[in-house]
Amino acid sequence: VNAILILMGLLVLSYLGSFLVTGRSVRGVGLPSGVEYAALGYVLGPHALGLVGADNLASFEPVVQVALGWLAFAVGLDFGYAGDKRVRVGSLTLGSLGSILTAAAVAAAAWFTMDRLGVGGSATDRVLIAGGAGAACSETTRHAIRWVVDRYDAKGPLADRINEIAHTDDLFPMIGVAVLFALDPTRNVALAMPLRDWPAITVGLGLLLGGGAAMLLRSEMPIEDTWGVMFGVSLIAIGTATRLAISTLTVTFFMGMAVSVLTRHGAELRAMVGPTERPVLLPALVLAGARIDFHAMPALPWIAAAAIGGRIVAKVATGWLLAASSPPARKAGAFVGLSLLSSGALAMCIGLAFALRFPGPVGDTVLVIATLSATVGEFVGPLRLRRALFLAGELPEPGSSGGVRI
Amino acid sequence: LSSDATRKGVGAHATHLLLLGGFSALMLFVTRVVPETQGSLWTIAAIGFLLLSGTLLSELLAPLGLPHLTGYLIAGIASGPYALRLVDEHTVKSLSPVNTLALSLIALAGGAELDLETVRKGARSLGWAMFVQCVLVLVVVTGCFLVMARPLIPFTRQLAPAALVGVAMLWGALAVTRSPSATLGILSQTRANGPLATFTLAFVMVSDVVVVVLVALVLGCVRPLIDPGATFSLDSFSTLGHQMIGSVALGTTLGLVIAAYLRLVNRQMLVVLLVLGFGVSTVIEYLQFDPLLTFMVAGFIVRNLSNQGHKFTAYIEKTGTVVYVVFFATAGADLDVPLVRQLWPVALLLAGSRSLVTWGGARVAGKLAKDLPVLRRWAWSGLVSQAGLALGLSVVISREFPVIGPSFRALAIATVAVNEMIGPVLFKFALDRAGETSRVQAPTFPSMPPPPMR
Repeated sequence: VNAILILMGLLVLSYLGSFLVTGRSVRGVGLPSGVEYAALGYVLGPHALGLVGADNLASFEPVVQVALGWLAFAVGLDFGYAGDKRVRVGSLTLGSLGSILTAAAVAAAAWFTMDRLGVGGSATDRVLIAGGAGAACSETTRHAIRWVVDRYDAKGPLADRINEIAHTDDLFPMIGVAVLFALDPTRNVALAMPLRDWPAITVGLGLLLGGGAAMLLRSEMPIEDTWGVMFGVSLIAIGTATRLAISTLTVTFFMGMAVSVLTRHGAELRAMVGPTERPVLLPALVLAGARIDFHAMPALPWIAAAAIGGRIVAKVATGWLLAASSPPARKAGAFVGLSLLSSGALAMCIGLAFALRFPGPVGDTVLVIATLSATVGEFVGPLRLRRALFLAGELPEPGSSGGVRI
Repeated sequence: LSSDATRKGVGAHATHLLLLGGFSALMLFVTRVVPETQGSLWTIAAIGFLLLSGTLLSELLAPLGLPHLTGYLIAGIASGPYALRLVDEHTVKSLSPVNTLALSLIALAGGAELDLETVRKGARSLGWAMFVQCVLVLVVVTGCFLVMARPLIPFTRQLAPAALVGVAMLWGALAVTRSPSATLGILSQTRANGPLATFTLAFVMVSDVVVVVLVALVLGCVRPLIDPGATFSLDSFSTLGHQMIGSVALGTTLGLVIAAYLRLVNRQMLVVLLVLGFGVSTVIEYLQFDPLLTFMVAGFIVRNLSNQGHKFTAYIEKTGTVVYVVFFATAGADLDVPLVRQLWPVALLLAGSRSLVTWGGARVAGKLAKDLPVLRRWAWSGLVSQAGLALGLSVVISREFPVIGPSFRALAIATVAVNEMIGPVLFKFALDRAGETSRVQAPTFPSMPPPPMR
């Protein structure tokens, strides 16, 4: 299969993705994590049917980098907002705490398993695998919450709270990725730089470029020029980050945050960029799926199982924190935290970013863990969320005809 | 209020200039700190910088009355391999898919702007102008080249007189080419509407087809003059005929499909245009049809055989703006500045003589066709620009006649560069003076609908 056919396939996917976003009648169709597209990529990729070869994947790396950067920019732009409202401080705190707790639990579980089984390579490699798995598995995807809310017409304080948490748990994984990428800096830099400075440079670059873009976007500009500025600065950010071998995701995420905070057109920009997220995501997921190699490392199933176990435990614990701080969550039972188990877009993006930055066992392992975590979350998260919302009285009884719209 | 607005405008421009400097400094710093990289990934940053600098520079130059296109070109030249080196030769080459996409959009837009009724009304003007411009430019520019050749153009000195006439005729044929991209770029920016805009667009789009035939004819005629071993042959016309008929047939089918899509689905045109730009262009290349003619016919069909034309034009305009910036900025970055510096006196003379003949031709054609005064006065202004088509034909000529090829192409590059810089400025000036430039401001943020969020 040649590159142009792959490109056409990706554009068709993008086309389908755009319908999933904008068509109200088909909203809620497909899986919330989008993991089925990763499965499609895996089937087509070099480790299954081989229709898309490794050389093809390499030639599409710039496309993948742009997709990842743009998605992170969209997430950053949306950070701290649920719809058109700012999230509450409590949700922000809980989202951040939950993501730190989950990342730590996943990383510890993965590290412990590698240590026990004597796999994972050097200490740095193990740190990268454990940390990467932690970062990739820490979020709750916004799409899952929206999927349930849209599909079942859920309304109420618990739905709002969980939605807000899902919109605020991306900050620390992004910082984590910046720190992890700094552990193996590019050898090509003509400037001596201590390792500890690289995460700060990553975040600083994002804020600097975002600040610049915000200043440009402050003036009244034709919409075409607004797109020109947003695309232009995003592409500069992505290209610069890849050249410096720092985290593209982190740079563009902080850029998005800075733009959102510093410009008075934040709401309009979110409305412009939001609909582009799904059309970019689906091709990225397929390309991520094509890179999945389940034989990346010996004992990979055990490491993945431990990481997912750690995630489940941490999410249950996050649920207890949620119940302690939010009365409607108490009605949803002791396992309300499992409703936060869905992961997807960001997890896969982090997995893919690791696969690109650390080709070989390290990157491939993180990508496999991210994919499996999203798959497990798919089976558990939406069901538990529906159950929790039902127990909280924000949804009709599952199986009853009222309220369910297919 | 007016002085307030002016101060605000000056402040905004100063901020934009400072920020442009800041972004340039960042790019320069990064290229110096990390000297080597995988080229394809740095291309991402290069596209971003061309887009951003083109957008900002065009805004900065607008108060001087210069067209946006000039801003894009200057941004490209400044960041290109012969100035700041933020965009190197490899990056420029790797941007060819963007050029393919832009050219398909330009041709689609050009075709979609041609309203059959308006063209029919202006057919007399168009016919006379086409005839006079083609004949006059071909003959007089050929003559000018012959006069300048021996004293000013070194590579012609060792040519036999017959070969010199052949080369001069090739130059004359090349001079007949116009630039649809520059015309569309200016019309898209100014949103101009009126006889001058309509005439120029129709002329440039139709001349595209005429020029391809003319160049094939001239190539056939001059071959025995330049290469004494060759014989006069019109074989190439058979291939050309197939190419033309195939392009029109494919373009018609494509146009009908697009019209049906717009009528039945009418969504996600961005992705559809990308599929057209990348996918259909590949099919056209495989079939060896003419992409410009195919897309132009497709746009023309959508406009004239369906009621979806305006919708289609609006979609292309929305998508095209960003692509045009990168396209023209890349053209600027691709400009061989040292070559232009070396050949500029003769290039300027050749470009000047072409402009003069174009002006004279427009006056003659205007009189013969009894054109409106605005056309008689300004019709020439939109016909000065030259760009991709002329360069493409110079590559063909260079390939067909390897003995004179490289030198001929170098001179063509230098002359096209002059026309590329001057032409758009002239056309915008003429549209402004003719009162056809739109006074309606492009929509900005406050006119946007409220965000569709839950």
